[in-house]
Amino acid sequence: MATDTNLSNEQDAIIRAEVDRSLRHPVMFFFTSGAVWLAISIFFGMIASIKQHDPDFGLLPDFFKDSSLFAVGRAYAAHMNVLLYGWGAQAAFGVMIWLMARLTRQPSRNSGVILTAGHLWNLAIAVGLIGICTGKGTGVSWMEFPTCVWPVLLLSYVLIAVWSLVQFQVRDGSRTFISQWYLMAAMLWFPWVFLSSHLFVFVFEGHPLMTAGVNAWFKATLVFLFFIPVAVGAAYYLTPKVTGRAIYSYKLAIFGFWALAVIGPWAGMQKLAGAPIPHFLPYMGMVAMILFMIPAITVGVNILVTMKKAPEVLPYSPTLRFVAAGSILLVVLGAIGIALNTPNGLRETQFSIAGYGYEILAIYGVFSMIIFGAIYFIVPRITVREWLSSRFINWHFWLSVYGVVTIVFCSIFGGFLQGEAQEAFDKPWMDAATRGYAYTLGTTIAWHFIFVSNLVFLLHLLLMWMRLGRRSQHPTLLHSHHAESPHGGEGFVDNA
Amino acid sequence: MTFKHFILGLSITFALPWFFVIAVPYAKMSQTQAVSFVEDIDEQTGVYTTKRAGRVLDGAKVYGAEGCYLCHSQLVRPTYAGSDVWRLDWAGDANHPDGDTRRETNVYDYAGERFAQIGLTRTGPDLSNVGVRIRKYAKEAEISPEEWAYMHLYNPRHKLTTSWSVCPSSTQLFRTCDVQGQGSLEALSVDSIKDGEQLIPKESARALVSYLLSLKKDNKVPASIDYSR
Repeated sequence: MATDTNLSNEQDAIIRAEVDRSLRHPVMFFFTSGAVWLAISIFFGMIASIKQHDPDFGLLPDFFKDSSLFAVGRAYAAHMNVLLYGWGAQAAFGVMIWLMARLTRQPSRNSGVILTAGHLWNLAIAVGLIGICTGKGTGVSWMEFPTCVWPVLLLSYVLIAVWSLVQFQVRDGSRTFISQWYLMAAMLWFPWVFLSSHLFVFVFEGHPLMTAGVNAWFKATLVFLFFIPVAVGAAYYLTPKVTGRAIYSYKLAIFGFWALAVIGPWAGMQKLAGAPIPHFLPYMGMVAMILFMIPAITVGVNILVTMKKAPEVLPYSPTLRFVAAGSILLVVLGAIGIALNTPNGLRETQFSIAGYGYEILAIYGVFSMIIFGAIYFIVPRITVREWLSSRFINWHFWLSVYGVVTIVFCSIFGGFLQGEAQEAFDKPWMDAATRGYAYTLGTTIAWHFIFVSNLVFLLHLLLMWMRLGRRSQHPTLLHSHHAESPHGGEGFVDNA
Repeated sequence: MTFKHFILGLSITFALPWFFVIAVPYAKMSQTQAVSFVEDIDEQTGVYTTKRAGRVLDGAKVYGAEGCYLCHSQLVRPTYAGSDVWRLDWAGDANHPDGDTRRETNVYDYAGERFAQIGLTRTGPDLSNVGVRIRKYAKEAEISPEEWAYMHLYNPRHKLTTSWSVCPSSTQLFRTCDVQGQGSLEALSVDSIKDGEQLIPKESARALVSYLLSLKKDNKVPASIDYSR
């Protein structure tokens, strides 16, 4: 990428080092606290999942059985909200501010403000979590934090993200990368989606059905217009950077971006199919969910073909492996979106566990996997230390992949079976109520794998945060070549 | 692509759907007018009213805060979108003294609530007409509907209710206290309570049960919104 500017390689390396140093504290803070929230979220997810197939709590210790803090509805709300805002948003912020600074080649001048706003964000998440667990949640899906929390989140967001927009405006006029368009768009979409949805749901006096409609739209657009674009922006940066190859097709990348921008904002209301709201709304939602396959397959193909051109790097780089998995799962997300939103598919799965599988696939399978890849790339650069253990990275990867694939399989397949039983109106309801048992059990087991996976990740990240990483010129690769060097093969990965 | 094109494109691609899917339908639906009965057709006059008591609406908040929407929906879809209308006791009472009351959800059914709890899954049954069902089950068990509802919330697998239920117990809505005098009329008859103590519903449980019992769509609707005619 150094060739794209007028700077020499040496000057460029100095600027990169300055960028990394200027953002070390805020970015590490976002990643580390995000990883802590991720572990907490998965813990709540496990409790909620266990209670769905084992309502008498036979497996759980007494404390979790009796404590009202872990009542299933509250635990589930805590699980989703902490996953989205504690982990997802913070990991996205870390990647966003670092990538925008690197791509505009400007060190951050506002790291203190960003770090302070980051603390404010974390405080708000903690208050929100306590609110949900003590029965003060709002009962609006993905917006369950007590209503005093969202203005604080929005304020912190502005203080975190606005500097990246300023950096983009005052950049030196060098070429703009596709990653920047994705990240810029996500930065502008997020406040619009977040603010308008919360105003419509909590502030203005609307019809209860349309409030529910706005909520459904919020859930879809938060994924399509924030989490997915941040992940795709990161993937478009990391893939060429690590492979040393240009993106397979820049035109395709631009097309994919505009396809997402055009299709994404229409999604969501299919969740209200059959409700007495204007009839075109659910249909627009269904169409958008199906058409999402276009940007998904565009991005997936573009990233994976680029990787395929670098077979010498692919098996060794942790970053590439995570990004490849996330890109494949993005295409799977598009395909499942089609299956769930055909008129018959929606009729069966509208109120089944399939919706949860779709959400977890988007948030964990696509977004988090690509962001893990970004974290494995970014952290060694900002801490100037290398990851300690390729074995830890391997565990993190395989347990995560195994876990998320199992959850998605159980939820989607189980969701269709559950929906089929729900639609069989002449059979007793007991059939439908017990049909999902095996699949929710499978989901619980899969969450345990993901929990272990993320404890490993959290430990590894905390060690890096404490600056206990390896002092080495050689990056940590997945297969080491002991015959050549104890630190792995050299020259495979551009470590700058 | 320049920055100007980018901002212009983003504004158009986002603002259009935001305007047509969110802002306009929101504004239009917030002005939903009440419908009146027409004497010639409905054989009655007046406005189709959907007023609900304050405690019922407090119960709606408890419903949300406890996350009931995770497993319970409140939507009877028309037949093009699902077969909810045909499931026993979901859409109304087919053997109601005033005739078949089964109908799909209408736009007035969530009156007074801030947020229509459409629900995320149907791990449990739809609750649009749970008030009708609770009264039916309570009559069979020869207890009051409130008592049946408390028993079911405290232990969904209680022998009086449903032995195979997969619903978690909402014990957080109840508290034990010492018996004073004759004891509370609302005290639940459960075996696990020690002598001299009683298990009574908290205020949140009272509100929630009021709300659940209000969930019944067996009132007469004007012909203009009665799609079964």
